[in-house]
Amino acid sequence: MGNSDLDRFVGSQHVLTLRVSSELFELIKRINFCRQIEKIRNCELITEGEVRRLCAKAYEILIEESNVQRVDAPVTICGDIHGQFYDLMELFRVGDDCPKTNYLFLGDFVDRGYYSVETFFLLLALKVRYPDRITLIRGNHESRQITQVYGFYDECVRKYGTADVWNLCCDIFDLISLAAIIDDRIFCVHGGLSPTIQVLDQIKNLDRMQEVPHDGPMCDLLWSDPYDSSDMDGWSLSPRGAGFLFGGDAVASFLHMNDLELIARAHQLVMEGYKLMFGETLVTVWSAPNYCYRCGNVAAILELDDQLNQTYKIFDAATEENRVPVKTILPDYFL
Amino acid sequence: MDSVHEAAVRGTNDDAVISKASAVQAAYISDNFVKYFVKRPPRRPPIINRGTYVRTTGLDILITKFLETVKAKKQIVSFGAGSDTRYFSYKERSRPFHKYFEIDYPEITSRKVAIIRRHKQMYTLLGESARLGMGGMELYADDYCLIAGDLREFTTHVVDRLIQHGFDTSLPTIFLSECVLIYMESGDSDKIVRWVGENMSAAVFVVYEQILPDDAFGSVMLQNLKLRNIELRGIYAYPSLESQKERFLKRGWTHAEAIDINKMHDRHIDPRELERISRLELLDEVEEWRLLSAHYCIAWAYVAKNESIMEMLEQVKFVYYDPIPPTRRIVTT
Repeated sequence: MGNSDLDRFVGSQHVLTLRVSSELFELIKRINFCRQIEKIRNCELITEGEVRRLCAKAYEILIEESNVQRVDAPVTICGDIHGQFYDLMELFRVGDDCPKTNYLFLGDFVDRGYYSVETFFLLLALKVRYPDRITLIRGNHESRQITQVYGFYDECVRKYGTADVWNLCCDIFDLISLAAIIDDRIFCVHGGLSPTIQVLDQIKNLDRMQEVPHDGPMCDLLWSDPYDSSDMDGWSLSPRGAGFLFGGDAVASFLHMNDLELIARAHQLVMEGYKLMFGETLVTVWSAPNYCYRCGNVAAILELDDQLNQTYKIFDAATEENRVPVKTILPDYFL
Repeated sequence: MDSVHEAAVRGTNDDAVISKASAVQAAYISDNFVKYFVKRPPRRPPIINRGTYVRTTGLDILITKFLETVKAKKQIVSFGAGSDTRYFSYKERSRPFHKYFEIDYPEITSRKVAIIRRHKQMYTLLGESARLGMGGMELYADDYCLIAGDLREFTTHVVDRLIQHGFDTSLPTIFLSECVLIYMESGDSDKIVRWVGENMSAAVFVVYEQILPDDAFGSVMLQNLKLRNIELRGIYAYPSLESQKERFLKRGWTHAEAIDINKMHDRHIDPRELERISRLELLDEVEEWRLLSAHYCIAWAYVAKNESIMEMLEQVKFVYYDPIPPTRRIVTT
């Protein structure tokens, strides 16, 4: 073996070593990450350092997604979760684990419940681990302003001592897609329609990477509600103070213009877990059972098979024992 | 025997005053005195603030109507008044009444007396005749009287103590119970309702309390309160708007009404006020608000032995505001 051959041999060995060590490194990272998911699944708090790394990975994935994320059936659609971590675990028992099942979550992961931090990090960790198996879209609670009123901000400060983790999460909120479209047939959004949006391209052209505005198309998608009444068609002001109420004619026109068959949305508590409206052209899916530990409602998820056939699975709140550690904090009544 | 329950019921006073302080801080209602009872009010969720607003405003409307329309010396009796500051607010605003009586557990009245004494903004409103009684558990002034007692002994003990301090059954009187009778066995609360109906020459009785214990929200409500050792012992006797009216009509009252808080909010609050409070906070809990409000009611009844007073009491009711149709908005595409 000449010198040059030797050099070449040593060189290739070196490359091989490098390759092995980077694969090994990836493997270790993945094992660590799985451990982290397991930790979150047990409702344990991850460290602030882990939060930073998780958010950095999520950032890389979410920034590449479209405003209207394309999703293939079969997929299971889930509505509001609102920090009800143990009920989310129940949801995964009912709908099967991710990645065995593809999931689409329609926003409102945080606020109101006792475990918004753990809930959001579990969904985010699953997104990072299985980016093609779980889709997250933004709800009106994924916002700086709303989380300061409805609990997520306070929870972050209580659990981490400072608002740093809340800030990291809000930066992630700004990246989450606004809507999804399943097999070009089903439009999925947190709230509903906007009077300023007729075609999907108008959503695609929005600059979504910002705090949820107080009005305008992006706000409407996250805040609006359907309103079924004989004396109202079209659009009217919402009692929520943001977004609009939209009637059956607005739904029909949107579906027609975009060659769609169904709008799936969340945002409104439905005691029966789901509610079809306007001749089954719109469905509300609600996935927080006994919402706020007070409402006594059941929850639902919507399973779509590869032919887009709909199956609604109903579930109750996770057993009360799971919540023993927080029994001292109870929901508000007028006393 | 049930001291745990009693302590928990006394604790509901803290809860109510904290909610009120939160609603004051968020500018739903104005009250210059609640701050002396709650130093740093925690922020309550928007629906709780709104509910506190509707409850306080609803009762204030009926009391004000009573004070304005009845042309005679008038008394107010507040059962389980707790840390309520209405006497001071009304006094400050010169609402005309002859005497304001409050009754509560001694643990609560003692604390109230101590707080009133510490703050001259309140103490001076009582006038120069103000003096303490029962070792600081009670407070008496010309137009105010705070009595320590157990409402289960209303007819046997409390009435005598009231009369001793100037309570006059011949004067038109408005009786208030904000989440008070509901904690008692209905046998005990019925005695109060019957006594007032039979012994007062003219009276209005106003009740604010929970209803609908049997639906999904109601049964969770009872379970949750039980975790705090609170039992709504009277709720099964008067579980609906209809039975809330019956509780009076069956005991000799002339007329009774009952509405839930949704109706109170939607039809009996001035739309300009609704517009104002809707701008204070975003209310993202519309469905939950409907549910919660369906489970609370305001019931009121009146009785009078004199025809001319009866006509005045008939005026003690809410103004009805027409529903506003959803605002149309024409959108150009």
